[in-house]
Amino acid sequence: MKRLAFAYHPDYLLHAPPFEHPESPERLLAIVERLRTAGLLDRLIPVTPDYAAEEDILAVHGREYLEKLESACRRGDLTLDAEDTYLNRHSYNVALLSAGGAVAGSKAVAEGAADRAFCAIRPPGHHAGREAGMGFCLMNNVAVAAKYLQARHGVGKVFIVDWDVHHGNGTQSVFLEDPSVFFFSVHEHPTFLYPGTGRRWEIGKGKGEGTTLNAPMAPGAGDDEYRLTFEEMLTPAVERFRPEIILVSAGFDAHRDDPLADIQLSDEGFRFLTRRVAELSDAYCGGRMVAVLEGGYEIGSLTSCIEIHIRELLGE
Amino acid sequence: MQRNIVTVAPSASLFEARDRMREGNVRQIPVTGGDGRLAGILSDRDIRGAVLPGGLVPGFSAEDAEKFLKDTPVGKVMTRKVITATLSDTLEDAIVLMHDFKVNALPVVDRDGKVVGIISRTNVLEAFIDVLGIGEVSSRIEVIVPDKPGTLAQLAAIISSFHVNITSVLATGHVEAGKRANFFRIATLNVAPIKKAIEEAGFEILDPSRYTL
Ligand SMILES: [Zn+2]
Repeated sequence: MKRLAFAYHPDYLLHAPPFEHPESPERLLAIVERLRTAGLLDRLIPVTPDYAAEEDILAVHGREYLEKLESACRRGDLTLDAEDTYLNRHSYNVALLSAGGAVAGSKAVAEGAADRAFCAIRPPGHHAGREAGMGFCLMNNVAVAAKYLQARHGVGKVFIVDWDVHHGNGTQSVFLEDPSVFFFSVHEHPTFLYPGTGRRWEIGKGKGEGTTLNAPMAPGAGDDEYRLTFEEMLTPAVERFRPEIILVSAGFDAHRDDPLADIQLSDEGFRFLTRRVAELSDAYCGGRMVAVLEGGYEIGSLTSCIEIHIRELLGE
Repeated sequence: MQRNIVTVAPSASLFEARDRMREGNVRQIPVTGGDGRLAGILSDRDIRGAVLPGGLVPGFSAEDAEKFLKDTPVGKVMTRKVITATLSDTLEDAIVLMHDFKVNALPVVDRDGKVVGIISRTNVLEAFIDVLGIGEVSSRIEVIVPDKPGTLAQLAAIISSFHVNITSVLATGHVEAGKRANFFRIATLNVAPIKKAIEEAGFEILDPSRYTL
């Protein structure tokens, strides 16, 4: 059995919508409750996140954006420029703590306190670019974790797998020209789903050409199509790149019950995704793997898939 | 339309014209006289076509080809009958002209016949990408509506009640008679409540899994 770190902080619940919104604190409450009743919580190594350090955030976001975000929260703005991305007066600090959760999970794995980590964090991060939050995301948690691992733990090559149903446009933009971080995203085709990027010919730029890989899926695709994509695209990419650690932008909104998209993954589909990435991390990076929560908005499928995800990470 | 255009005089050599086309990264170049009026158009294909007969002669070398290009004036090879757009033509006019006359570029002329710009197929594609809102952070919703006045306004009102910007709209026919399809790009990830409200208003949301890419 693997030692699995679990990064969570009760303050994650403080970032709460001022109007009805799918990205709500109830998501995390339900996840923790599910893990407790399933008897899994006691088997995890709890790590308590701290606010991400300024220099770790600045490695991903511009100071101007951070100042704008902080003052918007202080002023009591209800949303960012992107109207779908709400704020309250806690949001800036909670976003720092969310990035800090991804950092804490990564730290536990990098220092060997755990084999793998799951970071139950919010707000999510993968749409946030250097100068803009959007799509419910304020700071790019997985990007901050990747930069942190490189800066503080001497990690060279990082591989990010983003299986959230939406394209991780923020993460892609941060690492577009960076050959040391491979970004692989599988998502519903951009013609049909937000944010409208992640086409198959987006493969990175300059020195980073070839270390971005996008797998847009047709609406209605499910377990079989994802399985094939993992075998034919993800596996060879990891084999070629030889990362030292794999980070996962683990969204669960590609589930067939999720209302925000048209992909039809089942619970078993998510078991396969987790297992395959875990196998790849075992084969190529000493088992080091850190999953951070992104989307997933239907509480039933979100909690059941996360239970499966945790069981697979534990290597039951 | 591109306003910074590369032109060439009828008296210039094909060699010079080819250089200008390479520099400007264009495949067709308006030919203008001293008064700036359009005299013809020259494409890279015209140049290749002019060299080709020589290439079939045995012993025709690269140097011979270069000499031929230097010795042949543009005016001898250019197409004189040019399909042009005027400053008052619309993008729609330009698209129809390019399609109906099978041309790759339209020089744009003013009332005096002077060349003021050029529209290429690439420009048209760029305009389409822009109009369709591709590349803007947005979600797409496809709605099937009855073919009667007022439905688009009704849908726009529903969307605006969610304080969401519409970044592009496309309304087209639908395979079913008496119906039309409206495509919206809207600046939000949170489409589920908007789709629900549209359905509750009696419209049909097209399930994207039902049509192929
Ligand atoms: Zn998502």
